Amino acid sequence: MSELDYVGKRILRKDGPDKITGRAKYTMDMRLPGMLVGRILRSPCPHARILNIDTSRAEKLPGVKAVITANDTLGIKHAFVETPRYPPDQYALAANRVRYVGEEVAAVAAIDPYVAEEALHLIQVDYEEMPAVFDPIEAMRQDAPEIHPTHPKVKEPFKNIGGKTYSGWGDVETGFAQSDYMREDRFESHLRTHGYLETQVALASFEPAGKLNIWTSSQGPFIKREKLARTLGLPLSAVRVQMAYVGGAFGGKVDLYAHEFCAALLSMKAGLPVKIAATREEVFAAYRHGQPLIVEIKTGVKKDGTLLAQQIRVINNCGAYRGTGVVVIFLAWGFVMLPYRLPNLKYEGYAVYTNNPPRTAQRGHGAPQLRFALDSQLDMIAEELGMDPVEIRLKNARQPGEQLPNGDNVHNCGLVECIERAAEHTGFREKHLQNRSVGTTLDPLRRGIGIAVSSYHSGSLIYPNSSSAVVKMNDDGTLTLMTGAMDIGQGAETILSQIVAEEVQVPVDKIEVIAADTETTPVDIGSWISGNTYVTGNAAREAASVVRKKLLDLAAEELEASPEDLVLDNMRVYVAGSPGRALKYRDLFTASIRKRRGDPIIGEGHWRTMQDVPFHPSLATTKGRWSENYAFDAQVAEVEVNTETGMVRLVRAVTAHDCGFPINPLLVEGQIDGQISMALGHAFLEEVIMKDGRTLNPSWLDYHMPCIHNMAVSESIDVITETYDVGRSYRTKEVGEGLVSAILAAIANAIFNAIGVRLYSTPFTPEKILRGLGRIK
Amino acid sequence: MKKKQGRQLIELAVNGEAYELAEEPQVTLLEVLRNDLELTGTKESCGTGECGACTVLIDGEPVLSCLTLALDCRDLDILTIEGLAKGGDLTHVQEIFLERGAVQCGFCTPGVVLATTALLKATSRPTDYEIKKALEGHLCRCTGYNKIVEAIDKVLTDGYLVNE
Repeated sequence: MSELDYVGKRILRKDGPDKITGRAKYTMDMRLPGMLVGRILRSPCPHARILNIDTSRAEKLPGVKAVITANDTLGIKHAFVETPRYPPDQYALAANRVRYVGEEVAAVAAIDPYVAEEALHLIQVDYEEMPAVFDPIEAMRQDAPEIHPTHPKVKEPFKNIGGKTYSGWGDVETGFAQSDYMREDRFESHLRTHGYLETQVALASFEPAGKLNIWTSSQGPFIKREKLARTLGLPLSAVRVQMAYVGGAFGGKVDLYAHEFCAALLSMKAGLPVKIAATREEVFAAYRHGQPLIVEIKTGVKKDGTLLAQQIRVINNCGAYRGTGVVVIFLAWGFVMLPYRLPNLKYEGYAVYTNNPPRTAQRGHGAPQLRFALDSQLDMIAEELGMDPVEIRLKNARQPGEQLPNGDNVHNCGLVECIERAAEHTGFREKHLQNRSVGTTLDPLRRGIGIAVSSYHSGSLIYPNSSSAVVKMNDDGTLTLMTGAMDIGQGAETILSQIVAEEVQVPVDKIEVIAADTETTPVDIGSWISGNTYVTGNAAREAASVVRKKLLDLAAEELEASPEDLVLDNMRVYVAGSPGRALKYRDLFTASIRKRRGDPIIGEGHWRTMQDVPFHPSLATTKGRWSENYAFDAQVAEVEVNTETGMVRLVRAVTAHDCGFPINPLLVEGQIDGQISMALGHAFLEEVIMKDGRTLNPSWLDYHMPCIHNMAVSESIDVITETYDVGRSYRTKEVGEGLVSAILAAIANAIFNAIGVRLYSTPFTPEKILRGLGRIK
Repeated sequence: MKKKQGRQLIELAVNGEAYELAEEPQVTLLEVLRNDLELTGTKESCGTGECGACTVLIDGEPVLSCLTLALDCRDLDILTIEGLAKGGDLTHVQEIFLERGAVQCGFCTPGVVLATTALLKATSRPTDYEIKKALEGHLCRCTGYNKIVEAIDKVLTDGYLVNE
């Protein structure tokens, strides 16, 4: 491997100076002349018919410039998933019926927030309440109120089934028959919010000539453009979605939201720009959170701990519309397929409609819920078999080069090394034995250690499926990178610049990035499918390598040397061994204009998760390839449990991860720390509490996101399985969301190690600990 | 519901500049900074004093601008994130925050940087506990706080005093 100058280095983020000085403009900070304030009227009922909406008084209020209801829309439905099997099921503004508290019913645009708020109060909506259901198991019963008809392809006698994933391989019955030990368990997870600091916000400006400009705090502009154009009835080319800085997203800003649609439609109606910003209370009470899953697992193993068969049923409380509800039951299957070898599987996942707000992707998108269940149960099996948790994981961990049952390959999978190094680094085996052997002592504080693993895909085929990039040289030899990628805080622009810098040998601070504008930048998969570094990164690398080749060809001519003898270094080319025979890039730029009929040295590049697969895998049957690139990790948690108070403290979290090759170790560490913190919140602190479809704790006082007193000691070990070579594609893997998962199971396993209490549901509250200890009933 | 009332003239001193403004009595300092002075570096994330994103320094003390009425800020010295780097030169705290990766999405950053600056001015060698007390009202979802604390530790190791 050649010496690398920019990739693999702790290069400081390009947007740092803007952010640290307050110059960075987020969508929330944007203003346009004449801009109106938009607000949304939401349903107070969990399930009701809309009998009438009277907006006349609101329209007459001085200062109100536009009011919209479903009658002002084209009545076109949308959804995150839009396939022949799963047609869209939601209107941008409710028509005739509402199905959750907070569903958008009307919207107003006014000259200031006070007038807008008053106008909402003047809209009279007559509802006829209908019976509602909030629990997915109750919603599946035949006598439950119907929210939507069960999907026609689902033949079981269940109500309210929005979609089903069924898959498997081998024969589970045979696998169970061959098993020496079997067990069945049921795990439940709970509702959490993403916790992005910038609330949801969009600014729309419709030009009289027919062009809609919209800035929105999102994770990628292209999916927004497609859905906005279609629901508004505008040609795709008439909608331009642009980025501003994004104050966090974590999966919560992917899909089309009503405030974006309403800002656009209000702007079209009022003829002025309209900004709609959600309040924090609205985000908590009416926006989309993650997905609580019920996971039922029956597992059979051999005496030596080898997994033989699993039968798994996942039930997703997916809320009033499909949202990503049918995606998470597909992904859940994938998180079973990885990271352990499993010869026989029968999998069923159900997305169940309930009268709760719809759900969406949330960092890890089902992986934390599934890995919590699977790796908790694996520890229970190890305990029964008298095996060490590390040993049973090493026995079943996928090895490099293994073909997965769906046809994917794990390539240079570093899972075994991750497990070994995490265990070694923490002295796992000794501590695990020692903690178990502690009998009854007077000390209420008990230590425990636990381990778990996970794997996550790096990019997949979901609209818009691919990334392109353009790299162009400027007269002075600097570069401009044009990419559709969206920097949501993870550092996309920085790592893409590092890759371009490495290929062309232009320093990162001499590369200008134009990003995430549907009009001027090429299409991009978006920062929501964990493919940024792999897919967009390879597109940027391809584009940069075209520039590199043009520079070398031209320099060879000018210097009368062979291209192989030329060296690129800091914006100049020289002949190896004769540094005096050199040309600066700016001179090559001039030469290219002169000798290449005006070519200012532009390169373009494209990449796709998979080269040769036409479509995304079937959400219903899982048939088709999923990803070409999987990251792996093992995480160890050390906890301290107070047996008197039931409080658990995460003392230390160790992450050994195979992200292929870290393009920027500083940013990788930041991703790991952030994920450990989020998992800590998941484990102990955070829960959106709902009763009868209403959110009881819609504020940060009552919803406990980790604060600085809850900081976890987070250590990481890089297991490097790939190389970066200039001019060649690479398999750098995801690092931004897979690491919220194993740590959750590791914490649960550590609690068991400390006090012998097995937890079957998140969060791990003092109440559950004390109940497990028999201290409360 | 808030109703419009009569505007009052006030003078505000922000980042060393004097501004004369006419504001309604219910308007917050945050609204004036962001909407009237276009100093949008001060962020709103909750508007109810729970997250710390809107923190500014008033006479050197961290204050939640979303809970502070603009009319109460007469004759006080207000410093926002835009006023920290003089002539484009970053302060030591700002530089080390970047160097240590303490910034990701950046939405909490202005508040955290200002609170840190105030702490280090008031206490030259804060203990770990004092650092956490000073930042306990600031929510950050991206970093897990590890790199923020690491950055502050580095500032302290450098022996840098945050004095003008």
